[in-house]
Amino acid sequence: MTRYLSRRLLLSLITLWLLATIVFVITNVLPSDVGRTILGPFAPQESVDAMNQRLGTDRALIVQYADMLRRLVTLDFGQSFVSQQDVLPQILGAVGRSAKLAGLALLITIPISIVAGLYAGRRRDSKRDRAIVLLGVTSSSIPEFITGTILVVVVGVQLKLLPVLATPPANADILTQVRYLLMPATAMAIVYFGYIARMTRSGTIDVLQSDYTRTATMKGLTTSQTMRRHVLRNALIPTVAVIAVQIGYLFGGIIAVEKIFNYNGMGATMLFAAQHKDLPMLTAGVIVIGIVYMLATLGSDLITAWMNPRIRLDA
Amino acid sequence: MDYLKLDSVRKSTTPLQLDVVEAYARGKLSRRAFIQRATILGLSGAAISTVIIACGGSSSSSAPASAAASAGASAGASASAAASAGAAGGTIRVACQRPGGPLDPVAMVDLASYGITAQSFEFLCTLAPNASDIAPGLAEKWSSNDALTVWTFNLRQGVTWHDGTPFTAKDVVATMERLVTAGNSGLKGVIDKGSTVATDDNTVTFTLLGANGNFPYLVSVFNAQTLITPEAYVSGTTLDKVPAGTGAWKLDSYDIASGAKFSRNDKWWGGQTLLDGSEFIFFDDTGSMVTAYQGGSVDALVQFDVLTGAPLFDDPNFTVVETPTTNHRQIWMRCDKGQFVDKRVRQALALTFDRPALIEQLFKGKAIVANDHVIAPFYPYFSDTVTQRVQDIDKAKALLADAGVTNLKATLNYGQLSEIPDLAVLLQSQAAQAGITLTPAGMDNGAFYGAQWCPAAPADPPCSGAAELGIVDYGHRATPDVFLNSAFKSKGVWNSSQYSSAPFDDAFKAFQSAVGVDAQKAACANIEQILNDDVPVGIPYFYNYLSGNAKTFTGVYTCALGQMFLSAASKVA
Repeated sequence: MTRYLSRRLLLSLITLWLLATIVFVITNVLPSDVGRTILGPFAPQESVDAMNQRLGTDRALIVQYADMLRRLVTLDFGQSFVSQQDVLPQILGAVGRSAKLAGLALLITIPISIVAGLYAGRRRDSKRDRAIVLLGVTSSSIPEFITGTILVVVVGVQLKLLPVLATPPANADILTQVRYLLMPATAMAIVYFGYIARMTRSGTIDVLQSDYTRTATMKGLTTSQTMRRHVLRNALIPTVAVIAVQIGYLFGGIIAVEKIFNYNGMGATMLFAAQHKDLPMLTAGVIVIGIVYMLATLGSDLITAWMNPRIRLDA
Repeated sequence: MDYLKLDSVRKSTTPLQLDVVEAYARGKLSRRAFIQRATILGLSGAAISTVIIACGGSSSSSAPASAAASAGASAGASASAAASAGAAGGTIRVACQRPGGPLDPVAMVDLASYGITAQSFEFLCTLAPNASDIAPGLAEKWSSNDALTVWTFNLRQGVTWHDGTPFTAKDVVATMERLVTAGNSGLKGVIDKGSTVATDDNTVTFTLLGANGNFPYLVSVFNAQTLITPEAYVSGTTLDKVPAGTGAWKLDSYDIASGAKFSRNDKWWGGQTLLDGSEFIFFDDTGSMVTAYQGGSVDALVQFDVLTGAPLFDDPNFTVVETPTTNHRQIWMRCDKGQFVDKRVRQALALTFDRPALIEQLFKGKAIVANDHVIAPFYPYFSDTVTQRVQDIDKAKALLADAGVTNLKATLNYGQLSEIPDLAVLLQSQAAQAGITLTPAGMDNGAFYGAQWCPAAPADPPCSGAAELGIVDYGHRATPDVFLNSAFKSKGVWNSSQYSSAPFDDAFKAFQSAVGVDAQKAACANIEQILNDDVPVGIPYFYNYLSGNAKTFTGVYTCALGQMFLSAASKVA
């Protein structure tokens, strides 16, 4: 296990380095004047020069690259070109908001979709199975921005049951925050219901057809015992992998949902940074999302190993 | 006509003021134009009211700006001036566009930044509650010499910055020096370094580079960068990093990604505001703002467009404020190089505009036709002597043929802002009728200004790196000076068409130095004729500015440059 974790950590560091390098290369491939971008077209040249000197963007690219790597090691992302404030607190704030939204979406969708997938898998080809499959295909076919818009119009504007903006007031209690996030989280949960339920159903069917399940049934275990002891663990292994990938995706921010609900999560933050050529913010965002992806997949591997002892992490 | 009353004013006026009074008395000026001109020239509110009454009018409802001016200590923005029968307390949530960057009051170029900075900072001349004219702000009164080259502003006394330090003439001088250095305002070419002098702590004198009868407008809300900032500010200091101001609201927090929060300045010179605070929520599109209002998440919209804001017109709980303005779009064409050097080509493109159709399709009629110049019909010095250009495809084709141009193909650059993408598509289809192939090329509006409209390099002349053809937005100005000075004067700071015309420069100079209404009208007639004929830019329309608020609030008023004033706002009791 230790060897496995060490290897994964090393791979993660290499991946992060590659990510940072790619972002640096892409954002510097075209000649641009960072100081001018920040201060605008009418700023006097001396102010632009001073700004470039202050930011260090007047130095050779190789020096800037080395400096960026050095600062990344200490998670010093520098200052945002746009807000001219430290990047790290802003990124962490956005990550925190995305975590709340993604967490609530997963909290809604995981139990419902797993139960639905198991139920459908056990009753393969029944009317209820087909209904769940159809529901899953439909829900994952409708983009988040469609369901989000419908929710806004119906639940927010017409019925006025929930706020149409997702950002809760400052210092809001947990219930208030949930109330504000419920609509965007639901819009996201609807899409992921389809993916997770179908994956669970498929895993369940596979496991139910396996030799060890037949053996368990033949040796006299009840259906619920078989499901609990043999089917559930094995059927959920691919589901866990899917959820892990979705966690990274959700943290990365569903830009459309964040836009519809005017929510300042990672998606909106990254989009804004890209539009304004805010390199430090963009780099930090990519690195943070990369870290989230890696942690999620690592967690997925560990859970998978725990669920299925046949999988040897050290292999 | 009550000559006795009129004479009492005549005796106390300067020659310039007398000219305006006489023009009004002889029916040459409308009441509104009279109030506007008289306010610029520093005629007191009491005198303005007296003239209106003497000429047979009622001053009470017709002279809001002057009423504010006459109050002296209570200017247009004062809490008491419009303190309606509202309840004390509460916070108003305002939906506005997301600012383009840090809140740099000198370098800002977008309406959203104008609106946020104007909550804390103030102008020498602020917006009158009628939302059209200027009224005393940090300057209590002003006057000029007869040649209109030296303007003296008497500053309001007892004003303090939010940190308690007194506001003085030194702050004004420092602000003007920064503005001159930056070159990002309508003051370029009007004043220079050293033009602004503090005569004493409460008096500032501007010695202009040339005569200018509209100068107070250039240090007013209508020249958004002229917010007075502390002497301690330096180039690049931003409001969000160094919160300050003399205004009614103190900036508590600012997050470009989400919004800004303000709380009441208890020591504001205008009196105590009824609201406890305000919250500006940033959006990237109007549709989301409208939805947020409909869902009860915001109370007011700084601006919305007629198409996405359509539901608001039918909402019985929403007050729509529709203001005729000089807001317009300029379709610039490079006059110095490229395919539009020949003015017949530029005229041809302008002749393809179906202006009434554009207005109907883009604004549902809430705009007026423009004639390829910036002198809007409601300016008091507008001249109707220039024939309105209308769509004439045959003539456009003939002009192109005369110019020897066939298969004209050009990229029409624009920023993704409001109706502009739709305008680009409509212009494309209209131009195609004359055989002109336009290819609309849109981009993020924040990037557009620096990439297509007015790139920083080459810096001399300004905007000489602009694209050959494009559409750019211009906000409302109560006088055309900023438009003329920045977009059309040779080497103007926003002259993206690189228009350089000695006759125009002379005509503009004549307009600025014109003394009296007749002279200004004559100068404007010349300007209109030159611009209409040369067509450095096509201007199809002036559109109405739309803003509004829930009827649960009152006393909200908005400048068509994006500043929403809340000092007199309150919740309806």
